[in-house]
This record gives sequence, structure tokens and C-alpha cells, in this order.
Amino acid sequence: MQKGLRGLIQLVEVWKAYPNEVIALREINLKIDRGDFVFVVGPSGAGKSTLIRLLYREDVATRGQVLVHGKNVARLRHSSIPLLRRTIGVIFQDFKLLPDRSAHDNVAFALEVTEAPRREIKRRVPAVLELVGLKDRARAFPHELSGGEQQRVAIARAIVNGPSILVADEPTGNLDPDTSWGIMNLLQTLNRNGATIIMATHAKTIVNAMKKRVVAMDHGRIIRDQAQGVYAHEVN
Amino acid sequence: MRSTSLAFGVRQSLRGLRQNALMSLASALTVALSLLVAGLFGLIIINLGHLATLAERQVEVTVFLNDSLPDQGVRAVEAQLKAMPGVTQVDFVSKDEALNRLKAVFANDKDLLAEVEQQNPLYRSFEVHTDQPEHIQPTAEAAGKLNGVVKVNYKQDLIDRLFRVTRAIRVAGLVIMVVLALAMVMIISNTIRITVFARRHEIGIMKLVGATDGFIRWPFVCEGMVLGLAGAAFAAVALWAGYSWAWGAVQRGLPFIPLLPGQPLLTGLTVLIGGSGVVVGAVGSALSLRRFLRV
Ligand SMILES: Nc1ncnc2c1ncn2[C@@H]1O[C@H](COP(=O)(O)OP(=O)(O)O)[C@@H](O)[C@H]1O
Ligand SMILES: [Mg+2]
Repeated sequence: MQKGLRGLIQLVEVWKAYPNEVIALREINLKIDRGDFVFVVGPSGAGKSTLIRLLYREDVATRGQVLVHGKNVARLRHSSIPLLRRTIGVIFQDFKLLPDRSAHDNVAFALEVTEAPRREIKRRVPAVLELVGLKDRARAFPHELSGGEQQRVAIARAIVNGPSILVADEPTGNLDPDTSWGIMNLLQTLNRNGATIIMATHAKTIVNAMKKRVVAMDHGRIIRDQAQGVYAHEVN
Repeated sequence: MRSTSLAFGVRQSLRGLRQNALMSLASALTVALSLLVAGLFGLIIINLGHLATLAERQVEVTVFLNDSLPDQGVRAVEAQLKAMPGVTQVDFVSKDEALNRLKAVFANDKDLLAEVEQQNPLYRSFEVHTDQPEHIQPTAEAAGKLNGVVKVNYKQDLIDRLFRVTRAIRVAGLVIMVVLALAMVMIISNTIRITVFARRHEIGIMKLVGATDGFIRWPFVCEGMVLGLAGAAFAAVALWAGYSWAWGAVQRGLPFIPLLPGQPLLTGLTVLIGGSGVVVGAVGSALSLRRFLRV
């Protein structure tokens, strides 16, 4: 991951209503600084995924502003959206790897489709695979890899373009606890190297142990935003 | 576009063609058939036009002269014909010349020939050419009133009919070609849509990691163009072989029908068909992607 390139995200009075009139986000105000590590927690249907999709402009806010790198993403020209996405790496619960490509080729894919020179691809893919601890599994196909290994490939793909922001939607949701910790350690390393990380999760143990900033959501609202927080408030 | 992306596009489109082989073959064959029909129409239209032009250039008005007209009178008729508006050429046909022409046509009818040879019943005539078809009828009428003229023939009707048929076939051909073009665009667009659907996850990931629309579109457009070009190749080979055979057969069996020779006609047609295949392929695949590329 490149040092120095750091993201900044700001949501101002953001509402999101889906066409079916479900209101997924209500007056969201949120500021994330460069180098932050933020957990977004809350019950199913709270609006975590919706919030994350607004950041890389998979979806657009119904009201309010979503600023990434100081720019309102809703105002981006259509041709500029790919450029925004190159600055944000995205990781999902279900990995979203291409089954007919090796680990190496899945990672190289992200560079190929952004028209990186062949020399760059040859240099960066092995380096990133080494960083995520998969140097020896480069030739393996997704079905030959464990869940944790697949998520590492997905992370490698997300960071190979050198994005300053990494968003993760329940990245450990399909993994057992030990494997989850491996992924968390990797994310923490990336964060120490300068990446801003926003991670939606249900993993109570992980959130409680890592003592990072916690944004808790419920019914589309932010109900708590706490530095070095925990998954849920103790009820006295 | 970088050479790496060019290679990427070609590799992706080959992948798509292989995964979707049966449908790809079917749509290439549909394109081939459509282009074949269009090409056939093209050949027919071009040859009919050629025929009509040739017919037009042949004798337009034949003016027959009374046998009793003296040479001086014949020269007078010639001078008057040449002075008529629109007349470009006046050729004299003597009784012997007329007889020779008759002999060529009825070479097998010995009795008839023997009879006419004894006493030539044919008139002397002038063959009159005009610069435009519109001048034929007035010229014929005026010639009929000249002193010493027994009869006037002209082929205006035949030529008119030939032009009318050519025009009708040209219009029908154009309509059919437009319909075929739409059909080709639709079948290619459907085929590509299947590939797009099969690769929707891949497209999703491409968008996710920041591929531009142009980059995402290019392999599919490439695939469509390959389909169109493959169909065009089929059609061109079939037309080439078919026309060469038909031309030879007509030369042998119906030598009086002046078909255009294969070259440069077929080369031109092949270029046209190839171009149509590529355009139809590109348009078809671009159409099928439009919906998918909306954010
Ligand atoms: N594409 C969609 N269309 C309609 N409603 C949606 C869509 N995505 C999410 N929702 C609704 O929006 C609300 C928030 O969903 P989501 O953001 O996925 O929550 P979370 O990730 O916290 O579980 C839910 O009520 C969900 O049903
Ligand atoms: Mg979710």
C-alpha cells in the first residue's frame, strides 16, 4: 500500500430511500479521517451495507451529500466514477472471486481492467500476494482455496491498485474465528501502512477486542459513534 | 487503447465465443444467410441495371424505306433524321445486310432461307439512336411522316418495362436489406446478451475495481464483430462460388444474356458484405450492453 495517499470521507445529512419506499438511511452525519479504522455495527437491516455502497457510488443518496476526497460523489461525471472506484478497495462477505481464474489472475484482473502496463502487473501482483500471505498459492483456483485464503485473494485484489480507502462489508461473515483473526490482522497491517478502513460487521468479539472507533446503527440511524468503542453498550 | 487491453479484449471475446459456441454458430449462420440474400439481391439489381443500360444503347428507332425510293430520296430521309432533336446516330441497313441478319437468327430454317434468298422481301432501313429515351417517341412519329418511309418500329415499351422492373426490384431489395439488417442486429444482440449475462459477475467486478465503460464494452463489441465477420465470410464464399458457376452456365447456355463478369463485381461485393458484418456486429453488441452499463 502506498503511504501518503490518504482518504477522507464525509456524509452530511444523508438519507437513502429505495424505490420500494424502504428508508435505509436517516439523517446520517459521519466524518472519517485519513488513517481511521472504523467498525460499522448494528443488527441486520440497520443500513450498514447501504452506507458502504454509497461510498463507492454503487448507489446514490436520496438526500444529503456524500463527500469522498472532498468531492460530492453524486455530482461526478459518469466517466469519473471509475476513477473514484480505483481509490477505494472493496471486500465482501462472499469474496466475489472469478471461479475460472487462479488467485494470481484474479488479482491481475483488477490491474488489467484499469489498463495498467504489463510490467506493472508482473511486479505488483506477486508483491501483493506475498503481503496477504499467499505467495505459494498463486496458481490455485478459488475452489482449491479455503475461505480465509479466498478472502485474502479478495483483499489482494482490492489493494493491488493502491487505493487509499478500504471498505469491507462483513468480510469475516463466512469465516471461522481463527481465520477471521488472520483477516483482521491483515486489515490492521494495511491500516498501519496508511489505509483508511471502514468495516461493517456482526463480529462482536472482534470489535470488542480491537478497540477501534465504532459507529453503531439501528433502523437507518447512527445511534452511537465512539472512539475505541465496543460492539454494544453495557446495559447497567 | 493500450496493446495489453487490445489483447485482453480479444482473449475475452474468444472466451465468450467458446463458452457460447452453439448460439454463436447459430447467429453467425443467420448473419451469413441474411448477407447471402442481400448479396444475391445486390447481384441481381446490378445485372438488371447493366441489362437495361445495354438495351437502351441498342437500336431505338428503326425506320423502314419503300423499295421504290431512289437513292436520292434515301439520302434526303437520312439528312432529315439527323436533323431531328436528340438524334445522335443514324445507320443505314441495306437489303443484303438485313438478309444476313435474318440468316444469323434463322440459321436452322433452311426452307425459309431458301425462299427469301430467291427474292429478298426485306426493306432497307435506318437505325436511329437518341441521346435520351424521351426523344424516342417524337422521333419515331416524325420519321413516320417522312416521304418514302413505310413503317417505323421502336422498343420504347420494352425498355420502359425493363427500367420499371429494375426499379421495383431495387426498392424491394432495399426494403428486404433493411429488414435483414435489423434481424442481424437483433440476433447478434441476443447472442451477446447471453454472453453478457453469463459474465455479469465479471462485469460487476470490473466496475467495482474501476474499469471504464469503454473497456468493459470493448470485448463484447469485439465478439459481435467476430460473429458478423464470420457470417460475412460464409456469405462471401457462397456468393463467389455461386456467381462464378452461374456466370459460366449462362455463358454456355444463354450467351445472349450479357451478365457482368465476376471481377471486379465480386471483390467489391465482398468488401461491402464484410463491412456490413462488422457494423452489424458492433451495433448489435453495443445495444445489448447499454442496459448493463448503467450504474
Ligand atoms: N436494493 C434494495 N432495494 C430495496 N430495499 C433494500 C435494498 N437493499 C437494502 N434494502 C433495505 O434497506 C434496509 C437496509 O438494508 P442494508 O443496508 O442491507 O442493511 P444491513 O447491511 O445493515 O443489514 C433493509 O430494510 C433492506 O431490506
Ligand atoms: Mg449488509
